[in-house]
Amino acid sequence: MRRAALTSVLALAFGAAAPAAAEPTLVLSAYGISQDAFKKILYEPFEETCGCELVVEIGNSAERLAKLEARKDNPNVDVVVFADFNALEAARKDLIQPLDPLKLSNLDKLYDVARDPIGDNMAVGYTLYSTSIVYRTDKITDMSSWKDLWRPELKDRVAFPNITTTQGPLALYMAEQAWTEGQPSPGLETAIGKVAEIKDDVVTFYERSSQIVQLFQQEEIWAAPMGRFAWGNIMKLQMPLGWLLPAEGQTGGLNVASIVKGTEQADLAHQLIDMWLSTEVQTALAEALVDSPVNREVELSEPVAQLMTFGPEQVESLRLVPPEQLLENREAWLETWNAKVAQ
Amino acid sequence: MFTSRTTGLMLVLPAVVFIAVGFLAPVLILLAQSLRLEDGWGIGNYLAFMNDGLGREVFWRTIKLAALVTLAAAVIGYVAAWAIVETRPERRGVLVGMVILPLMISPVARTYAWLVILGRTGFLNVLITNLGLSEEPLRLLFTETAVFIGLLQLFLPLMIISLVSALENLPRDVVPAAQTLGAGWIATFFKVILPLTREGLVIGGTLVFTGSVTAYITPAVLGGSKVLMLETLLYQRVSVANDFASASVIAAILMVTTLAANRLLRRLATPRRR
Repeated sequence: MRRAALTSVLALAFGAAAPAAAEPTLVLSAYGISQDAFKKILYEPFEETCGCELVVEIGNSAERLAKLEARKDNPNVDVVVFADFNALEAARKDLIQPLDPLKLSNLDKLYDVARDPIGDNMAVGYTLYSTSIVYRTDKITDMSSWKDLWRPELKDRVAFPNITTTQGPLALYMAEQAWTEGQPSPGLETAIGKVAEIKDDVVTFYERSSQIVQLFQQEEIWAAPMGRFAWGNIMKLQMPLGWLLPAEGQTGGLNVASIVKGTEQADLAHQLIDMWLSTEVQTALAEALVDSPVNREVELSEPVAQLMTFGPEQVESLRLVPPEQLLENREAWLETWNAKVAQ
Repeated sequence: MFTSRTTGLMLVLPAVVFIAVGFLAPVLILLAQSLRLEDGWGIGNYLAFMNDGLGREVFWRTIKLAALVTLAAAVIGYVAAWAIVETRPERRGVLVGMVILPLMISPVARTYAWLVILGRTGFLNVLITNLGLSEEPLRLLFTETAVFIGLLQLFLPLMIISLVSALENLPRDVVPAAQTLGAGWIATFFKVILPLTREGLVIGGTLVFTGSVTAYITPAVLGGSKVLMLETLLYQRVSVANDFASASVIAAILMVTTLAANRLLRRLATPRRR
């Protein structure tokens, strides 16, 4: 597989046609997280049924979006997975094409929020997660609100996601709800101002979820906002850590799959996405603590269900940031943040 | 037949082509890119970077930390190099080997080790609390101090090695001669040893300063987003913000800074004519 990837990279690099392969190649552009599990649960079973070869390119959203844009006229990726607002950005830049709902047999099984999250069938949700505050239950009691991150006991003991991460704007969005008593401004000025007030007392503005595990482990921090997808790794620490259900509610994120515009493998692309949405794969990914399911038919064992964002009640209670709002305000938030917090 | 001159040129040619294509061309493209604006060419990207409070702060922090690391490395380096040179030649090899050894360990591994040592439950904080220097463990990670320590440990060997070879070439008798003539240790160092070993100091200083300015992994891991340096800001601009204009400005500033530092150190080391 690595060799095939290398060959295709070389072929692309020199602008030559790839050597005639016996079977077609499908290229997936995905996040780097949990690739071992994806390989076992999705990639290998898919390769067995599709009669094709699946090549996976990994990277963060910005990198992968930049690559798509650079190769717009001659795409070398067929399927791409993003956070919903990245997919919206890709759609607005004309980098992805609509999905054909008729080719996705599992579409009807999904929660409404996942079926057509950015409009025009440009994407379909494959997992969603809640974002809330994780905290040391032995060190702080009676946590109940996003505002509690500002409590004096947490001075020098809080990590906050950096604005440049996906979790950063989500946490700010909820802080804005909390500090403005439900009268948020689209610019999130209040929340960013509140973070600026405690910036010297924040241990770090983390940039990768994996950092959070280590920060808790080394007892650098007692609390941090984070996405539920990292909760499984946090639980492995065997420390007294709790997931807060704040009074203002939890926010979260929806990750979506899209088909790259101009792909020559549209059928295989639909096939991969459909398999990803199937009850079987969604269940296996959840049981492996990789991704919370968006398929309503998934049933999970009790301990796993506890760890995931699971069930209609949880899913419907999430206060997701509308992707348009996130996309359109992100630069303004970054500017306010750089002026108030980063300096 | 080729004359020896053409043969020489032909032998040099592959290297020249390699440098032109593999080094000069990309650098020129990068510099050109930093001058490219949405409507034409100009220094607008540079002005925007310097007018941005964050850009200025990161620039000065990078210069400050790199200068402090270079200074500390020079002080520690002279002591260590002197000690090495003073030992018997057969032991010297072992000591130099021990100095070089860390250079053979990946900077990633070394930096992660500091993450554990400087952590709140780490070795240093255990020491500090057990000695009663502080009641509570200190917050050392993600501070300029942590980045300073990490960079110093990373680049100190380069300074020591440069100074060892400089001190080895120091004529054996100059120090006793200076002292016979009544110079104290401080005068001997500044008037005799320093001028005679300045080449080593310039080489070591340039390596340490350039290394500190351009280090990525140490500021990224030990400083994080609260202690941004030019390299980490560069990465953020490219990989997160997809902002190649200001990224190429940062790259150009890095290049100019290291060249300027080298010139400055050379100037300082050139003996003043009387």
